[in-house]
Amino acid sequence: MQISVDRVNDVTVALIPVEELDASNAAEFKRDVARILAADTQLVIDFSRLRFIDSSGLGVMLSCLRQMSARGGDLKLCGMSKQVRATFELVRMHRIFDIFPTCEEAVGAFSD
Amino acid sequence: MKAPNDLVSGIQESIRRNARYALGKEWAELSRYERFVAVALAARDRMVDGMLATEERYREQDPKRLYYLCIEFLIGQSLANNLRNLGIREACRQAVSNLGADLEEIEDSEPDAALGNGGLGRLAACFLDSLATLGMPTCGYGINYEYGLFKQEIDDGYQRERPDNWLAQSSPWQIARTDEACLVPVYGRIVHEADRHGAYNPMWMDWKVLIGVPYDMLIPGYGGRTVHCLRLYSARSSRDFDMRIFNDGDYFKAVEQKIASETITKVLYPSDAVIAGRELRLVQEYFLVACALRDIVRRFEESHSDFRELPAKTAIQMNDAHPALAVAELMRILIDEKDLRWSKAWEITRATLSYTNHTLAPEALEKWLVPLLEGTLPRHLQIIYEINRRFLKQVAVALPADEPRMARMSLIEESSPKRVRMVNLAIVGSHATNGVSAMQTDMLQSLLVPDLYQLWPERFSHKTNGITQRRWLLGANPLLADLVSETIGDGWITDLQQLRGLEPFAADSAFQAAFGRIKRVNKEKLAAIIRDRSHVKVDPDSLFDIQAKRIHAYKRQLLNILHIVYEYLALVEDGEEPATPRTYVFAGKAAPGYWYAKQVIKLIHDVARVVNADGRAQPWIKVAFLSDYRVSLAEKTIPAADLSEQISTAGTEASGTSSMKFALNGAVTIATLDGANIEILDDVGGDNMFVFGLEVADLHAMHGKRSYRPRDLYDDDPRVKRMAQAFTSGLFSPEEPGLFSWVLQTILNPNDEYCHLADLPTYLEAHRNAAEAFKDPGRWMRTAILNVARIGRFSSDRAVLEYARDIWDLKQV
Repeated sequence: MQISVDRVNDVTVALIPVEELDASNAAEFKRDVARILAADTQLVIDFSRLRFIDSSGLGVMLSCLRQMSARGGDLKLCGMSKQVRATFELVRMHRIFDIFPTCEEAVGAFSD
Repeated sequence: MKAPNDLVSGIQESIRRNARYALGKEWAELSRYERFVAVALAARDRMVDGMLATEERYREQDPKRLYYLCIEFLIGQSLANNLRNLGIREACRQAVSNLGADLEEIEDSEPDAALGNGGLGRLAACFLDSLATLGMPTCGYGINYEYGLFKQEIDDGYQRERPDNWLAQSSPWQIARTDEACLVPVYGRIVHEADRHGAYNPMWMDWKVLIGVPYDMLIPGYGGRTVHCLRLYSARSSRDFDMRIFNDGDYFKAVEQKIASETITKVLYPSDAVIAGRELRLVQEYFLVACALRDIVRRFEESHSDFRELPAKTAIQMNDAHPALAVAELMRILIDEKDLRWSKAWEITRATLSYTNHTLAPEALEKWLVPLLEGTLPRHLQIIYEINRRFLKQVAVALPADEPRMARMSLIEESSPKRVRMVNLAIVGSHATNGVSAMQTDMLQSLLVPDLYQLWPERFSHKTNGITQRRWLLGANPLLADLVSETIGDGWITDLQQLRGLEPFAADSAFQAAFGRIKRVNKEKLAAIIRDRSHVKVDPDSLFDIQAKRIHAYKRQLLNILHIVYEYLALVEDGEEPATPRTYVFAGKAAPGYWYAKQVIKLIHDVARVVNADGRAQPWIKVAFLSDYRVSLAEKTIPAADLSEQISTAGTEASGTSSMKFALNGAVTIATLDGANIEILDDVGGDNMFVFGLEVADLHAMHGKRSYRPRDLYDDDPRVKRMAQAFTSGLFSPEEPGLFSWVLQTILNPNDEYCHLADLPTYLEAHRNAAEAFKDPGRWMRTAILNVARIGRFSSDRAVLEYARDIWDLKQV
């Protein structure tokens, strides 16, 4: 999966390139995002293209957070649609992630 | 009365336009079913206008709304009812006639929407009619079963079930709302983590997702001013199929997963005892609750942001324990998604939810295995455990320390494996619990949940069931409805108590004659149906003695058969003619896995075969079974009844509503003191009902002392013995002599739960009294008319107003 990566104010921003993150592609995303996680301790994952996420996709996000935390890093999320946000809330994952409406706010939070 | 020309032409044009643009044909080219669709769509157009206007009115006034959750809705046919409620039936008749067709034929070609088994589902449908007629803001929530209650065929006397694919030709009444589909997670596990602040944060992960797609059926109230929705959800899988599996080359496995997801709403469970423990049923119940609550919360959030206002704007009614998961689901939404603290969420949940117990039957009191819940709804199980922990803490403070009592009240039954008591969950998680008759509520309070009643007596009440007179008299018996309206005006259509105005006419010979003529016409129509369906020729002048309801041991169709055989043998062996010729009609379905009920159907057919073929029994006794009983057939059967059999063992029928339908149509009731029969007796009067049988207290005393000795009656009364032995003699089953030995075993068993022989003597006597009364037409007509005049309290309008006043705090808008 071609995950586009940007660098903004010393923060890596990775855009989820698909509209749906689910059982069919979650493993592939996990594999491809691993190298991005390994490369930095400040990461924002941008959800602005994503329309649907299921428990497989959520599981990958949880795994990403754990990996980052284990390295002493921090992971923030941004750009969620209403439906994706609702799915995070349904499983209480909004309580363990910092989630921001926009990428700018997420990046800015690293300097707060 | 002719309808205005512009209305007729408007409807005619609407029918033509729907034929052309919805069906792609000219009217003349349409098939029978397509004609129904075109006419239905024309009606639906008007209902949509009404629905949008209703919604606009509700948006402006922001009233409190009721959300009626039920796993069954037994609607029947809708076209005639909708046209009537909209006030356009006569205009439609003329429009259709102008197009060269007959409206009644078109109405008759509509398949029944049978998304229910019996009383629970039909009550829900009657209530929706009343709520719309009364203008009480309501939305019904249910499941859009692809296959409703099975079609019943009879093969050599045995019931055979055939699938009821009522949506095979998609219903014109359903409006798909695919944009309002919702996500329903099931299965999975809890991952235990800490949140950003270090607090415990359980996360529900690894779930499978179902998509709930709503389909709206519009429900117009009488007069058409208010049109509500019944929102029925179909299950879809989240993707067409899992692409990864498909890409791996296993197309069939991929499709299997899709099919498995959509199975959830495939079939209505036919209220079989073997439902207990079935995972698919649990998922069905959660699917209903999850879709409904998601939608309810969405509607609330359209114009409110503070969930503390939820109880002021929302009443959610759980019908039976099937939707009891609403307690845990609402808590989950408020705590997990809306970030409310437990205590506030609990306060809101209890204030919003209320629960109706519709049955005392043990097999209907749902208890889900904890391991099953853990695997299917792990987060809900966590919440239920916490609800229970807090609840038992409260009990320990409120009531004297008593371990057995705590164990009884607990939401968790400490069996092995453990079970969750869904009735207890529904009661604990709501602010009001009601039964559906005074008697049943009394038993609920004293026998089923006495501890909960002792803790919270103020939460309990009874709300006796009712029926909608618009379907069950205005629609089903137009001749009688016209007679009543000509006599006392048509106010009864929205205020059934006005039927009291008929009382002075009960002894009026002209009125009696008109009433009797109508009954005769109805009987002739039913006789034609019996001839066509059951191939039995019956005499419309005979007493039509009808027992039409689900086949179940507690309803005691067997007792009825015992009477028939008793009378038959007295006639053919003793030459004792009954007081009057009688046609016994049975109708009803047996749950597919219910052996006993299916045997009863076979018994009825075999008794009928013997009796009907015996020249010595003519003209005195005829027996017929009407197959595939459903709402549309009930509408033809009930108006033809002279005598209505309501003969359940006292203490078993929660309410019963067929009793009300029959009485409303001028049948006299032969009944035990069970369910709502007791309250009907209060209103109708002991002179106008034939009451028999032991009362609840007597039966309980007898069971308690183990003093029931059916053998005594059998030994002491030679005619009873003769009747009983007829079932083992091979009289009714010459090719299989032992086929009905279960009858003797049942009725002679001192543990016969339903005490058939205990009630037989008084039942026989009540029947003798009924037959004698029927011989005097003036007396019978008077009694029948008084039944009609005094049944007014048993309208679903009255029931719904009581709920609105005492439980929902709902106002008419």
